[in-house]
Parts: sequence; C-alpha cells; structure tokens
Amino acid sequence: MADELTPQVPPDQPRIGVDEWVASVEGKRERYRGPVGWLRRGWDTAPAGARLLAFVIPAAIFPLVTTEGNLFRYGLITLLYALLGLGLNVTVGFAGLLDLGYIAFFGFGAYTYGYVASVHTGHHWPAVPAILLAIAVAALIGFIVGFPSRRLVGDYLAIVTLFFGQAFVVFVNNGDRINFWPFNRTDLTGGANGLDNIDPLKLFGWTVNTTKEYYWFTLGAFLLVIILLYLVSESRTGRAWKALREDPLAAEVMSMPVNRLKLMAFVFGAAIAGFAGAIYGSVQTGAFPGDFDVGLLITIYAIVILGGAGSLAGVIVGALVVNGVPELLRDPNQAEWVFYTALVLLVLTKVRPWQKLVTVVGGTLALGFALVAIADAWFPRWTAGEPNTGKLAHWVSHWMLLPSHATQIANWAYALTIALILVLTLLRGWWRTIVMIPTIYVGAFAWENLLVEQTVGATRFLLLGALLVVLMNARPQGLFGTARVEIV
Amino acid sequence: MSVNGAASLLALVGIDTYYGQIHILEKLNLEVREGELVSLLGGNASGKSTTLKTILGLVQPRNGTVEFRGENVTGRTTSYRIKRGMAIVPENRRLFGPMTVLENLEMGAYLNRDGRGRKEDFERVYTLFPLLKERRNQLAGTLSGGEQQMVAMGRALMSHPKLLLMDEPSMGLAPILVERSFEIIQQVHQSGVAMLIVEQNANMALSIADRGYVLSTGRLVLEGPAGQLLEHEDLRKAYLGR
Amino acid sequence: MNWSLFWDLTVSGLTLGSVYALIALGYTMVYGILKLLNFAHGDVYMIGAFMGWFALHWLGGPVNPSATAWLVVVLMFLFAMVACGGLGVAIERFAYRPLRNAPRIAPLISALGVSFFLQNSALLLFGASFRDYDTFHLIGAKTYNYKDIFLSVPQLLTIVSAIGLMIGLTLLVARTKIGKAMRATSFDREAASMMGIDVDRVIASTFFIGSALAGAAGVMFALVFGQIYHFMGFLAGLKGFTAAVIGGIGSIPGAMLGGLLVGLAESYATGYLPQGSTFQNLYVFALLILIILIRPSGLLGKADVKKV
Repeated sequence: MADELTPQVPPDQPRIGVDEWVASVEGKRERYRGPVGWLRRGWDTAPAGARLLAFVIPAAIFPLVTTEGNLFRYGLITLLYALLGLGLNVTVGFAGLLDLGYIAFFGFGAYTYGYVASVHTGHHWPAVPAILLAIAVAALIGFIVGFPSRRLVGDYLAIVTLFFGQAFVVFVNNGDRINFWPFNRTDLTGGANGLDNIDPLKLFGWTVNTTKEYYWFTLGAFLLVIILLYLVSESRTGRAWKALREDPLAAEVMSMPVNRLKLMAFVFGAAIAGFAGAIYGSVQTGAFPGDFDVGLLITIYAIVILGGAGSLAGVIVGALVVNGVPELLRDPNQAEWVFYTALVLLVLTKVRPWQKLVTVVGGTLALGFALVAIADAWFPRWTAGEPNTGKLAHWVSHWMLLPSHATQIANWAYALTIALILVLTLLRGWWRTIVMIPTIYVGAFAWENLLVEQTVGATRFLLLGALLVVLMNARPQGLFGTARVEIV
Repeated sequence: MSVNGAASLLALVGIDTYYGQIHILEKLNLEVREGELVSLLGGNASGKSTTLKTILGLVQPRNGTVEFRGENVTGRTTSYRIKRGMAIVPENRRLFGPMTVLENLEMGAYLNRDGRGRKEDFERVYTLFPLLKERRNQLAGTLSGGEQQMVAMGRALMSHPKLLLMDEPSMGLAPILVERSFEIIQQVHQSGVAMLIVEQNANMALSIADRGYVLSTGRLVLEGPAGQLLEHEDLRKAYLGR
Repeated sequence: MNWSLFWDLTVSGLTLGSVYALIALGYTMVYGILKLLNFAHGDVYMIGAFMGWFALHWLGGPVNPSATAWLVVVLMFLFAMVACGGLGVAIERFAYRPLRNAPRIAPLISALGVSFFLQNSALLLFGASFRDYDTFHLIGAKTYNYKDIFLSVPQLLTIVSAIGLMIGLTLLVARTKIGKAMRATSFDREAASMMGIDVDRVIASTFFIGSALAGAAGVMFALVFGQIYHFMGFLAGLKGFTAAVIGGIGSIPGAMLGGLLVGLAESYATGYLPQGSTFQNLYVFALLILIILIRPSGLLGKADVKKV
C-alpha cells in the first residue's frame, strides 16, 4: 500500500468521526412470497374480528356434521386443550415465564369444582359460583406459588414450578388419608381413585349434559377467553408483558414494575387453567390424579410452542395439530395412512432438486423390493410376520420386511433410525441424499414393526418430544410467531 | 525498526462482515507486516472490534479473505489461528476472575503442548512483569486495573505470538497507567512481535505506531504512516481535539 | 431417642444423598458453562440404570455371572458411564448446540422435548414393567456394622464410590488442563475462545463428564434399591435439581453438599415427620422453597449479577 494518505471516500462526505450506524441498517424486506405468502399477508392484514370468524364458523359447523365420538375426541378435547393453551400462552408466550407446574392449576380447577359439586362430598353447587370458586382457588394458588418465585430468574421458576406440579400429584394421590393438623382424617381428594360422580354444569336451570351441549358451552368459554386475551394483549399491560419477555432488564430500567407484571401473568395463566379444569371435571364427571401428569404438560407446551409463543391464533392451530394427529393415529389403519402421507410429503417438499428426489424415492422403493425378494428366497423368517391391518399395510408388506419375532430387531431398528437421522443432519449434498435412503427404510421398518403398535401411548409422546426439539432447531418462533430481530 | 519491504504477516482483503442484515464492515483492506506496529483508529461502533473478531475468526466475513503468514485462514477456527501465532489482549482485559494469575497465564499457553517451552514462556513473562511472579497465586479478579492489564498482556504473550492484537489497551486505566501500558507495548514490540492496536486514544496510539488506519462506520477512510496521520487535519479535528 | 432408627435413616440418607449429589453435579456443571437447565439429565440417569442392567445381563446375569461379582459391578459402572457420556454429548450436539445464540427459552423447551423423547423411547424399548438388578444374588446380603450403624455392601459401595468420583471430579476441575479450560469457559466463553480454547470441545467434555456421573448414579441407585423403570429419571432428576439449587447452582462443592442435604432431609422426613413415607417429596419441596426464600443463590452460590 502507498505511503501517502489515500482517502477512500469522496471528500464531499465528511465521514470521519460520524456515526451512521443506524442510517446504514437496511430496510425491512418483504418476507413472504408465493401463494403461501399471499395467504399470510391476507391473514396479517385482516381485522381481528374476521380472523376470529375464520375459526368460529368451521367450529360451529363441526358438531352438525360429525358423530358423537368424533365430536368428543376431536372437538371437545381440542377446545379444552386450546383453552389450556391460551392460559399457558399468557405465562410463557406473553411474559416469557417458564411455568412447568401449569397442569397443577388445571387440576386445582377440576378438584375444586368436584369438591363443591359432586356426590363424593355431598355439596351440589350450581355452575356459576362453582366455576368462579375454581378460578379463584387456582388464581390464589398461582399467587402463592408465584410470590416467592417472583424475584427469581426464569430458571429457578422452572424448577420450583416443576416440583410444584409433582407435589400436586403427590397431594391428590394421598389427599384422602392426611391425618395431621389441620386435615385430620378429612377426605379432600379421593386419593388414588380420584373424585367421581362430579355433577354436570347447572347454569340458570339449564343442565349441560350431552357432548354436543358441552361442546357449545366450551366453545363459548373459549371465545370469551380469547376475546378477553386479545383485549389484554393490546392493552398497556399486554405490551408491558411482551417488553418483559423480550428484555427483562430493559423493562426494569424503563421503570416497569417487573415483579408485579410477572406475578400478574402467572396468576392470570393459573386462573384460565382453573377455568378449563372446572369444565374438564364436569365433562368427564370426575377428577383423577393420573390426568394431571407430565404428559399433559408436554402436550400443552407443544401446542403453544408449535403455534408460536405469544400468538393467539397459533394456539388454535397448535391444538388442532397436537390433539388431532395423535387421535388419527389411534386407529392402526388410519395411522398407516398418516405416517406414509407425512413421510411422502416430507420427502417431496424437502428434497430438491428433482434429480435427488428421484434418487431418494427410487432408491428407497428399490431397496425395499430387493430386500423382500432376497428374504423371500433365502431368509423366509424375515417376511413371515403378519402385516398390520388395512389396505395400505397390505401393500406395504410387499416392500417391507416383517420378521416373525420382530421385537428385538425392531428395537435395534428404532435406535438405528435415531442414529441415522442424527447423522443425516450433519451431512450435506449427495451424501445426505444417499444416507436418506436407508434412513427412510429403517425408519419405516421400525414404524411397521414397533411404533405402530403403541400409537396411543409411547409413540405419540415421543413424537411430541421430538417435535419440540426439531421445532426449536428449525423454527423457534413456531408457525405463527414472528422471528425476533437479534441485535448484537 | 524499519518496516518498508518487510513481508506481509496479516492481510485482510475485501472483507464484508454482517450481523444479520446490518452491514458492519465494508470492503475492508488492511495489512500488518512482520515486526510492524499498526494502529487502527475509529470512534464508537465504527467496526474496530468487529475487525479484530474477523481477524480471529470469532466472526465470519460474508466476502473477502483473511491471510495470515501467507496462508488463507478465512474458514479456519479461532484456535487454529491462535496456534499459527495470533494472540489478543481483549477489550476490558477479560481476565478469568475466579482463577489465579498463574492459571490465567496457563490459559494463554493453552495450545502449547510441550511442557519445557512453557517454563521458558513463564520466565519470559515474569521478566517483563516481575510483579506477576509475586502475585501468581492471587485470584485475577482481585487485582487492580493496572495489574490486570499486565496479566492480560502476559497471558497473550504466553503463546509466543507472531502477531499481537490489542483491543483498547488504554480503556479504563488511569492516565499514568496508560503511559506505562504504552511503554510496555513498545517494549514488547521491540522484541520483534508485530502488533495491531485498536484505540480511541488516537494521539497515544499513533505516537508509537509505524502506520495507522482510520475506520468510520465500517469503512476505511484514511491510512498512512503514523507521523503523517498525526498531522492530518480531519483526523485532528475528529479525534485529537486540536 | 431411638439411636438405631436414627443411624438407619442417616445411612440411607447418605446413600440417597450420594446419588442425588452425582446427579446434581451434572446439572450444575452444565448450568455453569451454558446457563442451561438440562431437563434431560434425569433421563440420562434412567438410561444409565438400564445400561447397567444390560451390562449385567450380557455378563451372565446376577445369579450366574461370568466373572467375579466385583469385576461385574465395575464393568457395569464403566459401561453405563461411557454410554451415558456418549448420550450426553449427542444431546448437546443435536439439541442444544444449534440453539447457543437463540432466546433463552428455546433451549429449555428443547431440553424438555429431549427429556420426554428419552422417557418414551425407554418405555417403547424396555417396556413399562420394572426390572430388577437382583443385588441379593449378585453381591449377597452381607452387612457391616459399627455398634448401631449398619451398612449393606451396596450402600457402602455407593457412598465410597460417590466420594471417589467427587474427589476425582474436584481434582479434574482444579488441576487438569481441560478442567481449567472448563472454568475459563464458564466464566467467559468468548475470552476463552480468544485464548485458543476450543469451546465446543470443552462444552462437549462437560456434557460427557456430567452425563457419565449421572450414569454412575443410575447404577448405584439400582444396586441399592433394586428396581428400575422408564419413569425413574423424573423424580430423581427433580431431586438432583433441588440439590443443585440448594447448594447454589453453578457451584461444584455446592452440588455435593446440596445432594447430601436433600438425601438426608428426605430420609429423616420419612422417619420423623407426620406421614413421612407418603409425603417425603412434599417435605423436600418445602425445604427447597425455604432455602430459596432465605438464600436465593443457594448455600454456596454467589449472588447473580446481571450484565447491563
């Protein structure tokens, strides 16, 4: 470089010592493209009332076109989960507090309602005071739990609430035989058998009885809560919560009452959970300790996170996906369809360009047929197993090895699938394409021989767990959340 | 020490660095030759620290290359670059507070594998900063600002660097310590270590440097021999206050 | 005062406390270096117990082991520790590392997901029923005693090996190069990488060591209490957490102290407090709340100073 002074900008720009950092930030870019982008823009610009209608109309039509059982499983339970999701969304989504004892408040709601309105205790309160009491009890306990935790950083709150949730389960399981002061031999919770024979809701002379009636009632409750939350989220407090979530320290410096805001969010969430709990108790005419465990906690978290923490519409979508898909998996025949549709869709959308797509699809099919042919010829034990029920499973059995005693092999195949998927995330380019072929095949093998048998229990939950991890890695803001701008 | 004609030790060629959407460094070209002392000047948020992070590989540039000792190290890890002979005295010193002075120095020599060379390194650093030998079992966080500065420099020298990067060595030091600190810098420089000093205190930095660069909002606006820069009118107005 | 009951409770409290302390160490080390609560840690402990069981059965089972009992136990420990260490490294690599710079709640939720995934994978692979180490056949029912203090062989083994592991860990962190790098990284990650420390590798090593300790804890628990099942990691993890918080999260001696305290508290609660054997977990919870109220940063922790 030259030794004389070399100004690198035109002399008419006095840049020395001038900070133009802010001015140099590029403008906001249009993020959405294509037909999906068109939909998203429409959604973003639609007024809140119209967005609500987009949900209410299908929800109102649903009971007219479906059976009682489906209405219960897909309609009522989804609504209840969505209601729970709304409450958790206040604590986690709005205020950013990791509340892992959330399900306990749901439980307190159900048990409180059961305590004042059931054969078990002999009280038979009408619905309005009973529900109000359930809400009040949940909110009060939320206050008591939140109060000592309010000074804590987020992590400590997580531990205290997680332990609190566990303590609740211990308490209701043994609440029938506490025999020290002040509960000398009073049966509070019915113990391990739970409270049974809980009254249906009695509202101003109308008794809610059928699934359809419960559905309407819950839909009404849900609309009430979502409108309330919409108003709160647009209010001063709602904005303060969001500020708190994004940067607690900045919020504090801006002289926001951080502790009070945290506590409010916590209590607010607990109250909604208590409300949902009261409805739940009356829906299933009972409250049982096993209903309030970690599985439900993870389910509700998955709902809120999938939809996007902080997004009200996201909670509805999250509840539909998280409750709907596993319900579809209940029937092995449907489960087959769900699994292979999801697999094909995943491959079709994620594998580009078409050369790789052809390689993956062709390779996987060829691998399967070749293996079946080899096994038929020399290792008949490997195809001696029974195919699962259903037409699709029958077709699949021409392509998939089905050993006669599959348990051990399928266990190893499951472990191998996880290992292959992890390896896959580390590979790039054609290696990735090639490794994808055995990964899909071994995964499908584990599905056919192991996972499909447990769709209601372990499979459903391990998929939820994996969903949370994948979602956090791929799209931490969820489906409906907006990406945060990170300032370094 | 004459610098003209010496071989290039570090060269940044056409560096563009971004944080997200924000363009931090624009087409930056910068060179440090063997045995040279170069200062990089600029105000707040002008991209000085980002330049250092790009040199060390803590930040990856979107375009451009970083060459060190004739080798393109753009895609290499920080620890590789340090193994090849870079070292840094970070801004605010960044000592490991709950560890002793001795352990801090050991961290500086983290990549030196053989034990015998390390003993000599300790001796060398203790000769330069005799105080550190006395204080070697004290926790680094309990030292005074000036002492911490010595530990930070000693820590950087433990790895036998060819190129020593210094980020704001005068920051947070009393004026008397700033002078002392710059004396030490000169002393180290005279032992043959090339240096790149990032400073806001332009006067002090240029007074000991061979050459200087001036950075403003991510662009180089001036470069040249230190003596000429000291006389430059715009620079005097902006930084030197006279 | 019934001294024999007291000593029984003390011994079982110390045994349990050793297990909790080893679990707490993993939490505290990971928290110190990443500021992350690793919810999956309790499930790593559960996997450790199962790996020990598999090692035992690959070596011929408790009734008819193919080597002397001592060697079998050592091999069980080694296998469980290595397997869990590897699992911990994999969890860090795939569930946490991509989220290093994400908002703080993201890795927590990822951790929750990993925990749930491991639990249900174990349910799927190992079934819902209990499995038994059958220590009686493997080691025998011999006990040692000093006056009123009775110690069974597995209890002795647990306490002694936990102390050994803790001394080893303390020396590792204080003296070795990787230990010092861990301390440097947990104090200031960027400054550590400026020294040429490969931060990713240091974090992976931390996960390996912490998870290996959890694996050892799993085997110890199973040797003393016999039965293992897929959900055992949840409660143990919770207690380990509590221990880490009580001792001061991020502090290694704190985790050891906290573990022993929680173990003893649980044991004494079982023996002395009303309906203790039913509600011992509630009493531990009360202890946690009490400590957090009195000393939010734990017994040996330093007050948290936020950077502005």
